[in-house]
Amino acid sequence: MFDAFPYDEWGEDIAGFWTFGPGNSTGTYILTALGIAAMLIAFVWFVRLENQKLAHQQATLRASGALDRPPTAP
Amino acid sequence: MITSLVPVWLAQAAPTTEELKTQIDLSANILLETFYFWTVVVMWLIHVGFMAYEAGAARRKNLMSTAMKNILTIAVVTPTFYYFGWYIYGCFEPGLPTIGPDSLDGHAGPPQFPGFCGQTAPWADEMGPNLQNHLNGVFFLAFLLFSWTTGSIMSGALIERVRLSAFLILTAILGSFVWIMDAAWGWSAGGWLTIRFGFHDAIASGVVHGVAGLFTLGVLLNLGPRIGKYTKDGMARSFRGHNTHLTLMGLMLIFTGFYGFYAACLFITPTVFPGWLNIYGSPTTLGAIAFVITVGFAGGFTGGWFASKGDPFWTLSGGLAGVIAVSAGADVYHPSLAYLLSISGACVAVWSGNYLEKRLRIDDAVGAVAVHGVTGFYGVFLVGIFAGGYPTGLANVESSMGGQLMGIMAFVPLAFLPGYFFSWILKKMNLLRVPPEVELEGLDLAEFGMDFYPEFERVPEVIVEPDGREVDSAPVLLDAYWQTNGKEPAGAGVGAEERS
Repeated sequence: MFDAFPYDEWGEDIAGFWTFGPGNSTGTYILTALGIAAMLIAFVWFVRLENQKLAHQQATLRASGALDRPPTAP
Repeated sequence: MITSLVPVWLAQAAPTTEELKTQIDLSANILLETFYFWTVVVMWLIHVGFMAYEAGAARRKNLMSTAMKNILTIAVVTPTFYYFGWYIYGCFEPGLPTIGPDSLDGHAGPPQFPGFCGQTAPWADEMGPNLQNHLNGVFFLAFLLFSWTTGSIMSGALIERVRLSAFLILTAILGSFVWIMDAAWGWSAGGWLTIRFGFHDAIASGVVHGVAGLFTLGVLLNLGPRIGKYTKDGMARSFRGHNTHLTLMGLMLIFTGFYGFYAACLFITPTVFPGWLNIYGSPTTLGAIAFVITVGFAGGFTGGWFASKGDPFWTLSGGLAGVIAVSAGADVYHPSLAYLLSISGACVAVWSGNYLEKRLRIDDAVGAVAVHGVTGFYGVFLVGIFAGGYPTGLANVESSMGGQLMGIMAFVPLAFLPGYFFSWILKKMNLLRVPPEVELEGLDLAEFGMDFYPEFERVPEVIVEPDGREVDSAPVLLDAYWQTNGKEPAGAGVGAEERS
């Protein structure tokens, strides 16, 4: 009674009303595929970005000689 | 005039029986929806707690890299669980899904819930805004929080040497595939373990904690210990966490969140006696599990205190272990029984934790395998002894030791093998562990380029030798590094602490 939404006009469509919806439609399939693609790309970037950082830091540390074994006394 | 209209207004306002039924159904749905939403809010505290717990247990040089694992768990498990984890829960209850014409969209679920499988596909009407379905969203959300929890359980064990990206891959596998598969099999009213064997694990001793713990064990076998964890003779050293108060507060937050976890494991049926069902559709009450969880903490703290001879870390972890040990039968245990069993569960956790660290030389930084893995399956086992004969699931098969053992036999390989296999793959690709140089210097400088306590002077890091002596860790760790890598001397070196 407090809602002016035109339920009578929308009828059964109210079950799935998101942008590019409803479910099991081309728009939703495309959105799902894009979401899965973004998820997979994020995984690849997580790996690559971290690999670059770690490799750089490892090279820096090795070049500094900070972790080399001290020479033993003759 | 006015008084003569009152009967007319009353007649217009009085709803029919059919309208009343519709209103009651809507109210019941709204109650269920609201309840689950707020359990999720409380369950967030589990993740706040895990983050604080693990960050405090890490050395200062690894603070943010440790916390970031918990934060990014949410970033990766949420989409993976949305896109295929929830679908696994909806469709794999029979073991493997069967496709039939009587289900929505061709996705057949178990015969007890026709069409539920189709509702869990990411493109389904029920997986988005939908005025006709209040429940799928909040159910999904509650299970998602359980998924985050499995990732957080693993997270603490791997700290200070695992790559962040490797952890994220592994946690997605654990949180969106492994645990939810076992939930479909044995933590649902129509799961094959439930309806064929009466498997009973009401609040997820095994399906969440046990499985996450064993998956973690598989990863730890490939990951290896932190540099310097063991002496040349194989004796275990201890690293000092940088903030024990943070760790203890984190554990208390986890305990708070567990009340939400427990509540989310029940199902409200507000118009049908007794108003609450467990995950198997068997009657229980919120009060029943409230008894058990609270007494479980009490017994767990007690057992942890005595088994560890007053160690603060194990006393609080014992509380967690105590609750996990009684979770499987929390819907039917008497509080006194829960008290006794939770004391034993905490003792099992302490003893198995020490055995794993000192005898098997597995470096589990927070005791996750013992507290969650060993105690989780111990809790499943206890149901076979102390709750045998209780009807479970839609087929009302009596729980029994045989059914519990069947569940354990199904879950142990399901949990351990993927953890071992996928971490082995990452190890072979050199993507599992950070380079040893970075490990010594600390992950925060490599990952974030900064120290996260800039206002405090860096004090020398200490390590506890097996005989209990606290010594400067820099020479110990460098010595272990040289042995591990077989490097020849190339000049005078300085400690990692001095450089950073």
